[in-house]
Amino acid sequence: MNVTAAPSAPSVLRRRRQRTRNELVVDVVVVVAVLAVLVIGLTTDRFVTVANAKAIVTSASLVGIAALGLTLIMIGGSAVSLAISPTVAAVGMVFLSAQSLGLVPALAMAIVFGALITGVQGAVVGYAAANPVVLTIAASFAIAGLAAGITGGVSVSPSGLGYDRLNATPGGVPLSVFVLLLLTLAVEWTLRRTGFGRSLYLVGENRPAAQAAGLPVGRTTTVAWLGAGALFAVTAAFTAAFNTSANVNLGGTLTFDAIAAVLAGGTPISGGRGSALRTLAGAVLIAAVSDILLLRGYSTGVQVLVKGLIVLLVVIVVHVLARGRHA
Amino acid sequence: MTPTPSTTRTSEELVRVVGLAKSFGGTQAVRDASFSIAAGEIHALCGHNGAGKSTVVKMLSGQESPDGGAIHIGDEPLSLRSRQVAQRHGVALVDQELSVVPALTVAENLMLGDLRTRWLNRSHHARFRSLLDSVGLDHVRLDQRLSELGIGERQLIEIARALGQDARLVILDEPTATLSDVESQYVYASVRKVAAAGCAVLFVSHRLGEVLALSDRVTVMRDGEVVATSAAGELTIDSLIHQMLGEAPHRLSARPARAAGDVALAVEGLRVPGRVEEFSMGLRGGQVYAVAGQLGSGASDVLRAISGLVPAATLRLQVDGKAVRVGSPAAAVRAGIAFVSNDRKSEGLFLDKPISWNLLATRLPDVTRLGVLSRRRWSAALTGLLELCGLERRRAGHDVGSLSGGNQQKVFVGRCLGRDDVRVLLLDEPTRGVDVGGRAAIHALLRDAADRGMAVLFSSTELEELQELADVVVTMHKGVAVRRHEGDTASAVLLREMTHGAEERP
Repeated sequence: MNVTAAPSAPSVLRRRRQRTRNELVVDVVVVVAVLAVLVIGLTTDRFVTVANAKAIVTSASLVGIAALGLTLIMIGGSAVSLAISPTVAAVGMVFLSAQSLGLVPALAMAIVFGALITGVQGAVVGYAAANPVVLTIAASFAIAGLAAGITGGVSVSPSGLGYDRLNATPGGVPLSVFVLLLLTLAVEWTLRRTGFGRSLYLVGENRPAAQAAGLPVGRTTTVAWLGAGALFAVTAAFTAAFNTSANVNLGGTLTFDAIAAVLAGGTPISGGRGSALRTLAGAVLIAAVSDILLLRGYSTGVQVLVKGLIVLLVVIVVHVLARGRHA
Repeated sequence: MTPTPSTTRTSEELVRVVGLAKSFGGTQAVRDASFSIAAGEIHALCGHNGAGKSTVVKMLSGQESPDGGAIHIGDEPLSLRSRQVAQRHGVALVDQELSVVPALTVAENLMLGDLRTRWLNRSHHARFRSLLDSVGLDHVRLDQRLSELGIGERQLIEIARALGQDARLVILDEPTATLSDVESQYVYASVRKVAAAGCAVLFVSHRLGEVLALSDRVTVMRDGEVVATSAAGELTIDSLIHQMLGEAPHRLSARPARAAGDVALAVEGLRVPGRVEEFSMGLRGGQVYAVAGQLGSGASDVLRAISGLVPAATLRLQVDGKAVRVGSPAAAVRAGIAFVSNDRKSEGLFLDKPISWNLLATRLPDVTRLGVLSRRRWSAALTGLLELCGLERRRAGHDVGSLSGGNQQKVFVGRCLGRDDVRVLLLDEPTRGVDVGGRAAIHALLRDAADRGMAVLFSSTELEELQELADVVVTMHKGVAVRRHEGDTASAVLLREMTHGAEERP
C-alpha cells in the first residue's frame, strides 16, 4: 500500500485517540483482574499467610525458570518450543547420573547438555528458517525416544548425594525461588542492556527486515535457544533433585505450563515484545490463582480450566493493545 | 507538435468513458478522462508514472468510484460500486499482480470468481478446455496444479479466466511486465483472439513497442488528463513519447559536477535467471548512479542481487578493489554495501520499535562494549544520526509506525548513513510513497552521502527523480542495460530506452 502523503492532522489525532482508548480498555481490564484476585484472595481462608505465600512462589519457581527460557525464544520470533518436557526429563537423567562427579560438575554437565540439544534446534530455526512448532514436535519425540531407549525405560537414580543441596531452604524458602528471582533479573538485564537483547527484539519483530539489514539473524536465534536450553536445564536439575529420580515423565506438563506463564505475562507469541519480569508475573499469577482454587476446594479440572481462561484473557488484551498501535 | 486528432468511430462504440474525475486527499489524480472503445478494438492507455492510468483502470473495474463523469458499457450508464458489480456488467480485469492460486488446479482457478460456476462438474470441463485452447495453452491439463506452470502460463490462465466470464470489456494492466518475450507473444496472440471475439480490450503497458504493434488506437494521459486518442498506425515511438511528456524541456539540470573518487564498487557479469541477462557497472565514490527501468526491467533485481538478497544470482563484485562474495545480506553489509528496499514495511523498518532503535539497528556492535550497550555511545551515535536526518531529538522514542511515509523513509535511509564502513548505498525506489517535502529531504540526504565519498546507486522509474538526483543514469529494458548516460540527457531519450530498449531495435 502506498502512503501518498503525510497523514493530515485530524487522522493523527484520531489515531492517538484510538490508541488511548485501547490502552484505557487494557488498563481497566488489568485493574479489575488484579482487584478480583486480591478480593478473592483476601476472602479466602488461609490465603494471606506466610506459609501460603511460600507455597505459591515455590510452585511458580520451577515453571518460572523454564518459562524464562521460553521467553527468549518467543521474543526472538521463533514462537514456541514444544520440546520442553522431554528436554527436562533427559537433562534430569544426565544430572542425576553425573552425581558421582560432585554437584557442580553435574550441574555444569546438565546445563551444557540442555543448551546443546536446544541450541541445535535453534540453529535449524535461525539459519534454515525451519518452522519451530514442527521442528520441536519432532525433537520432542526424538529426545523422549532416545532417553527411553538409553535408560531402557527405567528411572535413573542419583549416583551421588550432592544433588540434595538443591533442595535446601535457606530462610525457609526453597533455593529454586532465589534462583528464579536471580535468573529473572539476569535475563531482564540481558534483554535490556546488551546488544544481543536488542537484536533479539528486532529479529523477533520483523525477520525479513532484520535479514535485509544484515543483522546476524541465525546467530541471534541460536544464542537465544542456547540460553533457553540452559534455563530448561536449571529447571531440570531442581525437578530431578526434588524427585530424587528421573524417568521420561519427569517433565510432566511443563511444556504447556511454561507457555501459559509466558503468555499470561503478556508476551505475545508473535515476537518482538515481552520481558522476563512479565514472565515472572505470569508464572506467579497462575500459581496464585491455582492456589486460591485449591484452597477453596475446587477440583484439579477447574484449576486447569481457569489457567486456560487466564491465558485466553491476557492474549486477547495483548492483541487489542497491539492493534491500537498502528490502526 | 499538435496531438493527432482522434478518429471518430461512434457507430460501434461499446465502452464510453466521459469526463471521469477522481481525487485522493488533495491531489487530483484524474481530471478529465474521456475516450471510447469499440467492440473488437484493442485500445491502449499510455502515460508516464502518475499520469492517472491506474486510477482510470481502478474506476473501470469497480475498485474506486469516480468523483465525476460517467462510464457507459453498451447503452447503459453504469455505477460500478465494487469489483463484483463490475464483473456482473462484463468488465474483466487482468492485473499486474497475479490473482491465481498456485495450490489449486487449472480448472479450480478458472472457476474462481466465475459467477456462473457454483461447483465443478464435467459440464464445465469442455468449456474450460476451449478457454485454455483459445489462449494458446493447449498443452496444459485442467487437473494440473498451477504451481507446476511458469509465470507466463499463469498470466495466460488469468486471461482465460477473464474470457470465461463473458466479458464485454477486458482490461489488461501491464500483463507482460514480468514476462519473457516468448511468453509475451502468447499474451499478444490471446489478446487478439479476445478482441476478435467481439470484446472491447483496454491495454495498459509501459512497453511502447508492443503498444503500437498490438493496439488499434492509443489514448495518452498526462497529469490526469487525456492528451490525445490516435490511431496506432499514425503514431511512432517518438510521437508517442512526445505526447506523454508534453512540451516541457526535461533535461538534466546543469549542476556542479561532483568530484568522482576511485571505483568503490565494480559489478561484473551480474545475472539473475529469468530477470537480468547481463549487467556490469563501475561505481565511483562521490557519485550518484541510477538504474532506470520499468517494472520487470530487472533494475530492482540488480540492486537486490548486489545486496545478497537473490540466492539464484551470479555476479562478481569488488568493493574498493577487493573481491567480495555476497552470499547473504549480512555478507553484503560486512563488505560495506547497505540496501534500502522498496518495501520499507515488510523488508525495512521495525515499525513497532522507536526511531532510536531503528536508526541504530545496524550498528549495535558500535554502541556496545563487550556486548553490553554503552549509554554514552548509544546517545552520541543517535544524536549524530537524528541531526543528519533532520529528525527532532524529542521524537526519538516514538514508534516508527506512527510516522509519515516521508519520515519513515528518512529513518530507513538514515540507518545506512554516517558510518565509515558503508562504501556503497543501494536504494530501490528511494521515494516511493513519499510526499513532496519528504522527497526533497531524502534527495538531499543522498546527495550529502555522495559528497561524503559514498557511491550511491538507486533504481527509479520517475524521470524527474532521475534528472534531479543522478550523475549517471543506466537505462534498463527487459533485463539488459540499454545505455549509460552521463550529463545532459533528454527525458524523452530516457523514456524511450526504458519503454522500448535500444534504438537499433525495430
